[in-house]
Amino acid sequence: MKIGLEIHVELNSKSKIFCSCATQGSNVPNTRTCEICLGMPGSKPSFNREVLHKALKVALALNCKINKESFFSRKNYFYPDMSRNYQITQYELPLAENGKFEGINIRRIHMEEDPGALIHFGSITLIDYNRSGMPLIEIVTEPDFKTPKEARTFLNKLITLLEYLNVYVREEETTLKADANISLEGGERVEIKNVTGLREIERCLEYEAKRQEIELATFKETRGWDAEKGVTYSLRKKESENDYGYLTECDLPMLELSDTLLNEIKKEIPELPNQKIKNFIDKYKLNKDDAEVIASDLKLAELFEQISHKIDAKIAANYLRRDLLGQLEYNKLQVKDLKIGEHGVKDIGVMLNLYQKNKINNNILKTLTIRLIKEGKIGEIKEQVSDDSQLKKWCKEAIENNKSVVEDYKKGNENSLNFLVGYVMKLSNKSANPQKVREILKEMI
Amino acid sequence: MNVNEYLSKGKNEVKEIIKEAREINKKYNYFNYIDEDATGGKGKLSNLPVSVKDCICVKDMESRAGSLILKGYKPVFDATVISRLRKEGVAIIGKTSQDEFGFGSFSTNTDNIPKNPIDVERSTGGSSGGSGGFTAITKYTHVSIAESTGGSIACPAGFCGVAGFTPTYGVVSRYGLIDYANSLDKIGVMAKKVNEIKPVFDIIRGYDEKDSTSLKLDLNKDEKIKKIGVIKETLNVDEKIKDAVLSKLKDYEEVSLPLVEKYGVTAYYIIALSEASTNLAKYSGLRYGESLDLKGNYNEYFSDVRSKFFSTESKRRIILGTFARMAGYRDAYYLKAMKVRNLIIQEYKKAFKKYDVLISPTMPIIAPKFSEISKLTPLENYMMDIMTVGPNLAGLPHLSVNAGFIGKMPVGLMVIGNHLDDNKVLKFGEKIE
Amino acid sequence: MKIDKELIESISKNARLKLSDKEIEKFSHELKDVLEAFSKLKEVNTDKVEPAFHPIKIVNRFREDIVKESLKQEDALKNAKHKKDGYFVAPKTIDK
Repeated sequence: MKIGLEIHVELNSKSKIFCSCATQGSNVPNTRTCEICLGMPGSKPSFNREVLHKALKVALALNCKINKESFFSRKNYFYPDMSRNYQITQYELPLAENGKFEGINIRRIHMEEDPGALIHFGSITLIDYNRSGMPLIEIVTEPDFKTPKEARTFLNKLITLLEYLNVYVREEETTLKADANISLEGGERVEIKNVTGLREIERCLEYEAKRQEIELATFKETRGWDAEKGVTYSLRKKESENDYGYLTECDLPMLELSDTLLNEIKKEIPELPNQKIKNFIDKYKLNKDDAEVIASDLKLAELFEQISHKIDAKIAANYLRRDLLGQLEYNKLQVKDLKIGEHGVKDIGVMLNLYQKNKINNNILKTLTIRLIKEGKIGEIKEQVSDDSQLKKWCKEAIENNKSVVEDYKKGNENSLNFLVGYVMKLSNKSANPQKVREILKEMI
Repeated sequence: MNVNEYLSKGKNEVKEIIKEAREINKKYNYFNYIDEDATGGKGKLSNLPVSVKDCICVKDMESRAGSLILKGYKPVFDATVISRLRKEGVAIIGKTSQDEFGFGSFSTNTDNIPKNPIDVERSTGGSSGGSGGFTAITKYTHVSIAESTGGSIACPAGFCGVAGFTPTYGVVSRYGLIDYANSLDKIGVMAKKVNEIKPVFDIIRGYDEKDSTSLKLDLNKDEKIKKIGVIKETLNVDEKIKDAVLSKLKDYEEVSLPLVEKYGVTAYYIIALSEASTNLAKYSGLRYGESLDLKGNYNEYFSDVRSKFFSTESKRRIILGTFARMAGYRDAYYLKAMKVRNLIIQEYKKAFKKYDVLISPTMPIIAPKFSEISKLTPLENYMMDIMTVGPNLAGLPHLSVNAGFIGKMPVGLMVIGNHLDDNKVLKFGEKIE
Repeated sequence: MKIDKELIESISKNARLKLSDKEIEKFSHELKDVLEAFSKLKEVNTDKVEPAFHPIKIVNRFREDIVKESLKQEDALKNAKHKKDGYFVAPKTIDK
């Protein structure tokens, strides 16, 4: 099986690629448009420097060879979402070629604009050009993937890399799209166009692989993906081998990139995920699994690095993985939703310190973590109760109120002790020191 | 009254010229649109009446580039040249008639065909026919902002007996110009006298960040003319035209530009039509311009709108241009033409090492009758540009001034300068006009 | 190369132009002449010659990444005949 991807990534510049309209903001239709992205006669494009810089960052991070000279071309085809009936893209001389990432060869990377958005409405189509002119890079891989899962894993790592580079905003997986190519041994290549999101990309490849297993593809074909029905379908054949009649974009001059510029961009590239993972293992002595999980999100990795100044790395890693990520998932939130400032980091340090010294228990930790997630800080930490006299009072009460359970324990049932400990925790409103409680109960019984 | 005098005296004849324009238009068709309420303001060009070629966007004024398919298009923005002019107080009196999108040398490819001011059975030339005609005929102070791709300012200037100046490519911003061919289009100025052009040119020229092909370079200051070259191949015309041109010059040498003569028109048309064919793709009845009832699927709709509202000449040029850039033909045509352009530019540069300006007749004929034009084949039509394509292809500044008359019809003389020698060209034109 | 009816038809389809039989006939004659003239360029030796995409070489024009005000929705739609609830309207589309 051979799988290749043509990945479209929306870059997070403030303005669009060829005009000054905002890339974010109002979702009211046609309110983030101007004469340029609407293709009005008389308007001319103007290339956003920041888009070039972000695209170069990606190309360098993916180990590509940069074409020092490149230019834009017009890809001509007629479609209502195209404001000029040609797309400004790069054809003959893309920005970068021949890279490699996670063992997959990257054929080329180029910059282009997104068309508008269509909404099908019975016998008509509604068009919103807010998206027209959004800056895209297209990353084309060689058909090096051997399974749909490999493709998805690659995409996950790619997204993490893009976040590290600060060129991409992970937003409900709507800003990463791909055309996926797949062929089985002896069969022709089938292209599935315009699939949105990692899950759907993996799903459509799995479906198509099965479909081709049943019946090998005997001719090159382009298909669409119906996410609802979970099937690929044949796209009505486009008129002839759509001759795009490429022309250089004569309103935009050539790009000549200097070594100075490339070196500047290189300097802006931060420590990348793979390097971070290595660091976490070598320097911080985390195990591979912990290292990979924490490095998979830049914000999480940075939080870890900050906390590890004050707290043992292993404890920090455990806390982040088990407690923080756990609570986030439970509350249906993500790392990017965290609003932890300098204060919050300090608080975490203090909290984990107390935890390490057994001054707070797991329950308190959980409560404080929830507060951290919801408010961005921890605030007052009430230590657990370790005072013997208070604990003895609660234990006495537990024993007196649960005579049958005490009998069970005496008979040898270990679980009964857990029950009694739980009872004390309830009594103490979870603030009792559970280890001490266990010892005291054992003594008393 | 000369523009310079008008400005120094602080005159305001806007109402009068609008009245005149309305009257003249009934017979001559120089305007696609007249703004009855036009007023000027304060500034360096205070209350100067300015007419604008229809392909240059004026906010809220119908700008349809002489076409039917863009009927009703009212831009929501001003072209850069227009905002610069407005800032200096001009009064924009209306949009002048032209060949559709600039396609033509006689302003006959349009619904509103302008007539030569001297003989109404003859053409004004094109594509800036309305600009040329009105500039010649008006009794009031006025300039016209026009556009040239292959000679569309020089040609009507020559046929109508006025001065028409096309600057170096990139010196005047194209932002707001409805495209014909992006690497060839230039905005320029037409006036009765050459010395009326500079005050307006100085306001509209200069770097514009909205136009990525706008030059950041300064114009050359040197205006001295030491050596004049007359382009040998262009003298192969009617004796009377040749004599009219040469009689204006004192000392000159003949210089040969064989590449321009042999391949100029061809290279020009391949490039112009390739670029035009993509520029015209946007006219499909959706966001602006003419449209039809929405039925059928989108491809049928596009074809219906475009087939109904494009003229035959537009269709012809779109077909040719699409062909020249289709896979399989691109190298032989489009890329080849770009390389030939380079050679032609080098040929001019070599000549400019020796000569300060180059001279030729503006057109190989005097303004033809409409009946003669209709008999021309497309190829014969394209060959009419033989004098003007050279400087346009090479992006050189050039000026057409009146050199004399044959009968009552004017003969134009073209002055061509090196890149950025715009001021030198204007200076020379003033001298010999 | 062959300038025949088929070629004209395929080009006009690509350019979304519906030509009548008469127009196709006329165009194929006219284009034959024009293209023959265009082919003269073959004579020119352009080995090692760079294409001149603009008369004067221009490189590296950039715009800074600063947001400017967009058009109001009504201005964006002003010139469209077919619109609905803030959207432009097109006839039925099928997948690309």
